[in-house]
Amino acid sequence: MKLIGLKDIYKIYNVGGEEVRALDGVDLKINNNEYMAIMGPSGSGKSTMMNMIGCLDSPSSGLYEFEGEKVHIMDDGQLASIRNRKIGFVFQTFNLLPKASALHNVEIPLVYANIKKEKRLKMASDALISVGLEDRMHHRPNELSGGQRQRVAIARALVNNPSIILADEPTGNLDSKSGHEIMKIFDELHRNGNTIILVTHEDDIAKYSNRIVRLLDGKIVKDEIVVKN
Amino acid sequence: MISLFYENLKISLVAVFANKTKSLLTALGIIIGVLSVTLMGTLISGLDRSFESSMSWLGKDVLYVSRYEWFSDMEWWEVKNRPRMRSEYVDKIKNLSKYALAVSPVMQRTASLSYADKETRTEIFGTNEEYMETISTDLDLGRFFSLSEDRNGSRVTIIGYGLKEAFFGSDNPIGKYIKIDNIKFRVIGVLEKQGKFLGLFSVDNQAILPLGAYNRIFSKRGWMRLSVKVPEQKIEDGHDEITGIMRQIRGLKPSEKSDFAINKTKAFEAQYNKLKLAIGGTGYFITLLSLIVGGIGIMNIMFVTVKERTREIGVRKAIGATNGMILSQFLMEAVTICFFAGLIGLLLAYIISLFINQVFPSTLPLGLSLFSIFISMLVGILSGIIPAYKASKLDPIDALRYE
Ligand SMILES: Nc1ncnc2c1ncn2[C@@H]1O[C@H](COP(=O)(O)OP(=O)(O)O)[C@@H](O)[C@H]1O
Ligand SMILES: [Mg+2]
Repeated sequence: MKLIGLKDIYKIYNVGGEEVRALDGVDLKINNNEYMAIMGPSGSGKSTMMNMIGCLDSPSSGLYEFEGEKVHIMDDGQLASIRNRKIGFVFQTFNLLPKASALHNVEIPLVYANIKKEKRLKMASDALISVGLEDRMHHRPNELSGGQRQRVAIARALVNNPSIILADEPTGNLDSKSGHEIMKIFDELHRNGNTIILVTHEDDIAKYSNRIVRLLDGKIVKDEIVVKN
Repeated sequence: MISLFYENLKISLVAVFANKTKSLLTALGIIIGVLSVTLMGTLISGLDRSFESSMSWLGKDVLYVSRYEWFSDMEWWEVKNRPRMRSEYVDKIKNLSKYALAVSPVMQRTASLSYADKETRTEIFGTNEEYMETISTDLDLGRFFSLSEDRNGSRVTIIGYGLKEAFFGSDNPIGKYIKIDNIKFRVIGVLEKQGKFLGLFSVDNQAILPLGAYNRIFSKRGWMRLSVKVPEQKIEDGHDEITGIMRQIRGLKPSEKSDFAINKTKAFEAQYNKLKLAIGGTGYFITLLSLIVGGIGIMNIMFVTVKERTREIGVRKAIGATNGMILSQFLMEAVTICFFAGLIGLLLAYIISLFINQVFPSTLPLGLSLFSIFISMLVGILSGIIPAYKASKLDPIDALRYE
């Protein structure tokens, strides 16, 4: 079933009078329970595309449909609501709130979703348990390793049962061992029916996915199915 | 929404208490603002109270006829050239006036009073038997002197409560003799305790003598005033009537100006209101100034906070915070700082008011206290709204990229 449809998407920046096409006419369909990797050299538009899909950014032109809803005509409030309910973000730099415990970090999206305290705590601790952090719930980010921080971030991304999880170079700041541990979590999430898109420029990370989309200068130059053996 | 409120409150409390010194310095203007408005209120409440009791001592229903007008800017020689009040006026006013309920001549001077080995200098009053009706103080002990005692020049006296305590302690003074300027007077009454007039000087040390004795002993020199009691609702009519009677007594032609003055306690009220306005005005000015300065300080610190936490704002937006939620978070933070500042100011004001109360009976007014907290929070809203709005309008991508 189709989850996301991008049609003729452009994102154009004007830098010092010069036009920069971060996305240059992108067409893309993503189905439920896909596991897709976006690859490409630095500056090719990977992050821009992720932000677009994640409703953090809006296109200069083009059509974007998410679960049949037209995202390109939504206002700030509607976009915030979609991000809150339907999308889970995982960033390269974790982006946890430094003063909050792991549990509280995971709880925050639920606060914005106006879910009651007890239910919130239950959901947040379940999410932390599912990423193997049951004994780190009350630690602050600076008391956790990089891999553990990224697992908190994943727990935060999936706590709202989103339709899609977006991860922009989630292993970029991790050593390869922690990186592969993180990828195993994504693998499991995918097996459980989640839709996952991740950005990476490492081939052995991209191999975890089922589909690889390659970008160059804001254009999709290759879209291939990964054959696993 | 309740969840968000608690979340915001928690964030605010953490932010405020994580950096106590910074918060305190930021809030100094608000603290001073609240302190000045509440202390001003305390001061005025104290003034009101002592004014109220002092005024009741003077009596709202009494006209004071004398040579000079209270609080006027008349030259002293002009006053001095006016004819004196005379005790004959008392009977004339009584005969002619339909409003006068009691008329008393009052003469006043200082004298030295002694009993056994105790001695003091204080005010003595010479008056007639109707005097008690023109003041609103009652007798604590004994009785006032009678008309015949006044006519006979009897040497009897009614003393103030303070004088009684100083001379007799807890003994009964009635029937005892004290000396006024070395002449023996028999104590026949004691006035009840009155406290200080306008918080300034005590009226509890006076001694009251019949005018007959007063005149014989202290001569007729010195100036006299007349106290005329009228029904309280008829004070204006009484004022007009007594003016007419006095002009008649003095034989003034319609074209001539009055050479006497009739004073009412209202004159005190007007004067007092002027004073209150001056204190209030100064207080409000200081308050306004400190609140403005404090508000600007808070606005500044909030801009810094928003800048420092740009990335956090980006993260919060990425996980679903709406603009309104971000706005309320930062607004709450500004209001929280101001609320605690107000509370600190109020606490300081309360402590200081306890000290003030030692010298000058007064209380911190509750309404004003609540109002000052409300105003502090209002300042928080006003000074926080622009930084909070700026935070809410940040582009999530730019905010996430911010280093
Ligand atoms: N806010 C911006 N202003 C101007 N140019 C931008 C902005 N964001 C991205 N770009 C440009 O868009 C292109 C794509 O950027 P990005 O999507 O971050 O690439 P990638 O993530 O693939 O490295 C780059 O050339 C970048 O310089
Ligand atoms: Mg990138």
